[in-house]
Amino acid sequence: MKLIQALETVRAPHPENAKAFPVSLVCGFNPLHFETFLNAEMRLRWPDRKPEIRSGSYGDFWGNLQRAKEASPDLAVIILEWSDLDPRLGIRTVGAWTAPALRELPEFVRTRTDWLESAVRDLAQKCVVAVSLPTLPLPPINHTPGWRANHLELELRSRIAELAARLVDIANVRILSSQRLDELSPLAQRLDVRSEVNTGFPYHLDAASTLAKLLVSLSADDAPKKGLITDLDDTLWRGIVGEVGAAGVSWDLDHRSHMHGLYQRFLDSLASTGVLIGVASKNNPAFVDEAFQRKDMILPAASVFPMEVHWNPKSESVGRILKAWNVSADSVVFVDDSPSELAEVQSAYPGLECVLFPAMEPHLVYGLLERLRDLFGKSSITAEDSLRLQSLRSKYSSDPDTSSPAHSIESFLREAESELTVSLAKEPLDPRALELINKTNQFNLNGRRFTASEWQRYLADSNSFLQIVSYQDRYGPLGKIAVLAGRHERHTLRVDTWVMSCRAFGRRIEYGCLDELFDKFAATQIEFDFCATDRNGPLREFLAHLLGENPTAFACLSREMFLQRRLETFHRTAELIRE
Amino acid sequence: MNNLDARLAKCFVAVFPALKPEDAPRASVSTLQHWDSVASVTLFTLIEEEFGVTLDMDALDEFSSFQNIRTHIQKTLAV
Repeated sequence: MKLIQALETVRAPHPENAKAFPVSLVCGFNPLHFETFLNAEMRLRWPDRKPEIRSGSYGDFWGNLQRAKEASPDLAVIILEWSDLDPRLGIRTVGAWTAPALRELPEFVRTRTDWLESAVRDLAQKCVVAVSLPTLPLPPINHTPGWRANHLELELRSRIAELAARLVDIANVRILSSQRLDELSPLAQRLDVRSEVNTGFPYHLDAASTLAKLLVSLSADDAPKKGLITDLDDTLWRGIVGEVGAAGVSWDLDHRSHMHGLYQRFLDSLASTGVLIGVASKNNPAFVDEAFQRKDMILPAASVFPMEVHWNPKSESVGRILKAWNVSADSVVFVDDSPSELAEVQSAYPGLECVLFPAMEPHLVYGLLERLRDLFGKSSITAEDSLRLQSLRSKYSSDPDTSSPAHSIESFLREAESELTVSLAKEPLDPRALELINKTNQFNLNGRRFTASEWQRYLADSNSFLQIVSYQDRYGPLGKIAVLAGRHERHTLRVDTWVMSCRAFGRRIEYGCLDELFDKFAATQIEFDFCATDRNGPLREFLAHLLGENPTAFACLSREMFLQRRLETFHRTAELIRE
Repeated sequence: MNNLDARLAKCFVAVFPALKPEDAPRASVSTLQHWDSVASVTLFTLIEEEFGVTLDMDALDEFSSFQNIRTHIQKTLAV
């Protein structure tokens, strides 16, 4: 981004409903244009937020860190440069670079990194902390020529690596990838000596812009994509299986088709993190089965569900896969080597991310893998991730909608031996609750999202309550699939957050959620802070059924009305954990 | 307004959003309340970006009016 674009973005009026978004920028340099870029990137990423960046005093990294702790921002962005660890590691002071003076540096830096770790731990209790570790080159302080690594440099870098390893596992702390920064902003093009010496702003504009963009990406809680649908011929493997047979397709070095093997390895890795992998291929199913039975197949058939293999249009296959997964098209990526197939699917599902598999260009395939990692990347892997495919398979094989239309839903549910586990405990903080709230669209009361700090403040309110529901039945566990939160005032409950995973639809768990609330809080009525969104039709229809009319803001459901209109449920509440 | 004036006015408006482009040629430290050292550095950087030139840092001392800056840019571009 050019500086002038950043200034224009920052100065554009905010939407009327924009919410204040306090951000602490902790750095020792003069924030000048970096602050402008950071603000602009935030405005582009979060149009509904009004960033209020507090950057503290020039040259006082440690004081600014302390002030950030006291400010309770929604987000803290920390940019540590070498000169913050010791001014001799910068160029704006003329401290001694003599050998005896430098000998003490590593120990000094160790003390500073310990301070930083402690401060970041404190900050992370309150908000997301995005950390950038030294991005600028070390000055030529040592006795060795520049092409030769020296003990001091290696020891300093080791201190930073140790610090990063300690910080990266702290909840709410995110460390900027130096590899990605190196790719986008080469080291030699970062330090602007003239600007640093004259104004205290050490970056070239391009470097500052890239750093700001990456730090905003690091701070964002974008929902990762949930599923990938892949083509087979010349995508998952090289060759047309219908022409060369199962033994003739390849994905190895010998056949110069190794990048297909790497793609398979990558999909297998995605599947292990809970990403759904499906196949849409115009092919003969018998040939495809045979290929998947090959012992050298890297992506096992067990990691793929469903496989749509026939001669109908691929958009039909994609439609069936989306239905089986019960996810919306914009949560899914479709990969195919044929531009025309991509176009056909894209026209049917405009929200779907359609990506060309560049079969003949190994470096482009590698680039594709990097792009897919960004689209599917998540901060941690939960127990629910490993259950996802298993529960979908079970549902698909047992769901009356998909396997046996004559089978009644009641008898299916009655025989499911389902159990709900309901927790009303607000502490310890369960990260799965916030994850579900921020990624669920369809069964979502109003589409409201929370930052980590907003969520913590919300739960700290003594009138607030939190219900987290887990589900399992004879077909396997679904894990924690519903979150409901609100405030209670005597016998009225005001629900302002309610989400349920799409994997849990069709089991009447939503009735179980309300049943538990009426019961445990002895409530006579529940008010819902409902707001229609483009996507929350399932929840709207559910409330409309109970209320007898389309829900409006603050729709009220009495206990009598609920008991009259609720559908029969067959769950057993296995466990109840009270706050 | 010629091309140089229009491009310079664009930089001024980006730094001083309340300023109208047609008023930029009359802008100076004394007419713009928000013209401080940060505004000067931002303007300096924007001009380098807009015109693709590297200005002498000493030129910052001359950054006191649109006309002064215009003269400085003309000299730099002529070199």
